[in-house]
Amino acid sequence: MTKLLRWRWLPWIALALAAAFPFIAQSLEMPYLVRVGGVVGLFMLLGMGLNFTLGYAGLFDLGFIAFYAIGAYTTSIAMRAGVPAPAAIVLSVAVTLGMRALLGLTILRLRGDYLAVVTMGFGEIARLTINNLDALTNGPKGMQVAPWRPLAFLSADPNVQYYLLILAGVAVGCLASRRLENSRVGRAWIAIREDEIAACLSGIPVRQYKLLAFTLSGAFAGLAGGLFALWEQFVTPESFVFWESILVVSIVVLGGMGSLEGVLLGALILAGVPPLMQATLSAEWINYRYLFFGLILVLVTLFRPQGVLPSSRREAELTS
Amino acid sequence: MTKKARELLVVKDLAQHFGGLKAVDQVNLSIHEGEIVSVIGPNGAGKTTFFNVLTGVYPGTRGEIVFNGHEIRGLASHDIVARGVARTFQNIRLFAHMTALENVMVGRHARTKEFLLGPLIRSRAFREEEHQTEVTAKELLDFVGLKALGNELAKNLPYGAQRKLEIARALASEPKLLILDEPTAGMNPTECRDLVALVRKVRDRGVTVLLIEHQMRVVMDISDRVFVFDYGVKIAEGTPKEVVANARVIEAYLGKEGA
Repeated sequence: MTKLLRWRWLPWIALALAAAFPFIAQSLEMPYLVRVGGVVGLFMLLGMGLNFTLGYAGLFDLGFIAFYAIGAYTTSIAMRAGVPAPAAIVLSVAVTLGMRALLGLTILRLRGDYLAVVTMGFGEIARLTINNLDALTNGPKGMQVAPWRPLAFLSADPNVQYYLLILAGVAVGCLASRRLENSRVGRAWIAIREDEIAACLSGIPVRQYKLLAFTLSGAFAGLAGGLFALWEQFVTPESFVFWESILVVSIVVLGGMGSLEGVLLGALILAGVPPLMQATLSAEWINYRYLFFGLILVLVTLFRPQGVLPSSRREAELTS
Repeated sequence: MTKKARELLVVKDLAQHFGGLKAVDQVNLSIHEGEIVSVIGPNGAGKTTFFNVLTGVYPGTRGEIVFNGHEIRGLASHDIVARGVARTFQNIRLFAHMTALENVMVGRHARTKEFLLGPLIRSRAFREEEHQTEVTAKELLDFVGLKALGNELAKNLPYGAQRKLEIARALASEPKLLILDEPTAGMNPTECRDLVALVRKVRDRGVTVLLIEHQMRVVMDISDRVFVFDYGVKIAEGTPKEVVANARVIEAYLGKEGA
């Protein structure tokens, strides 16, 4: 299956289909699908980002959503200050990169469980800070963001516009991930994941490379956060609760850690199916959607502990 | 070895203490360019700890390690690799789920430099460097006799081949000094002979070799000189013949009665 997905033209076909999707959905009179697609795309970005930390470098991070929040709020605050939207997104990426590097510098000497606990704490602290920093973030009441309509020549529907913008982000993210993976940098990350001491004694500056993976993750969260804020035109701390961090980790784990295809599929399932159920199922079933979610996770854990579409290397690591 | 050869490694009064335990203490020695030098000693004599201090795994408590004219004690391991010291491990530490070729390519890290931008835009410099990395890695696989096994996952290689792969990975960083921690551990006589031949070939490339070895036949066979460790201190040094005739060495191995 993984081999099939490595087929050369498949990414381009998938991209073309994904680009045509909102127009198909509209012609089928199912516009809510476009929204679902956009949300899936945002979680693909987040999953791809976390994949650097968790998948490539093997570092557990349970507070990743904090950087999504920081990205969203940076864009919102910048927009309020009159910065043009594209510049606001760039600023978001820069701020999340910087914050992530700072956090990484202080906590990356921790390993495994300890790192997971500290990042989880950071996630909560970030949310609570946003919640209470009224002067800057307007606290729990949330912030309005001025409308911005990108790609207006393609569609008048803002959902379609943002869907396509997010899709472009996902495509660029995939390309960047893949290229780094197949380079000296990617090899260094995998070597560190495999055996830290041997990596260090093969000439790899382990601390720096861990910090690099950890920091690059932030760029994706910043981009996703900025797009989210502009699309929703409203941000509140409630969008960035611990559960969302777990969702991103689940996306990476379910798909197959370190596998780009896996992350994309994981986001499609975990971020796509619940809202789809919400939209299609009758009222009494809606409450059960997380039951279904849990069921998927249990089944995957039981039958495909290496993930649905693991990288071949990760598969070997986890099954032997 | 002629006395004229340049000193590559000079260790002065080196110590590594763990609390009250003096794992390595008052070690003075020097190694000349082009030599094959063995470190022997009973289990727990501090040989591996000594290697770990040399390669930056432990910081050392006291003393100097002058390599190629520069003090390296306390440097990070990857910096020491960059300066030309590479090593293998007593219990093989390969990147098990990377292929043999990838393992050696990782070893090129200190000698390559393309960072984020090159790979992201797939610049010409990046592609050339990747190509060169692969070519060099293949040459090294060929050199250690694993040419046909490049695409195998490291963990699937036979034991003897894994040992050789570790050597190839270490050589990929173009070391001046190669440190081998019990390279023949667990090998049968044929594999052993193979490895001895490989160590000689490595020396003939111009790489100085320092190894820990337990099999006396191997030590006698390949060493230009031998250092003997016991309880963390160097108790003797000399040619293999001198060392086996040394009373303190016999005592360390067999106890006083044997001497």
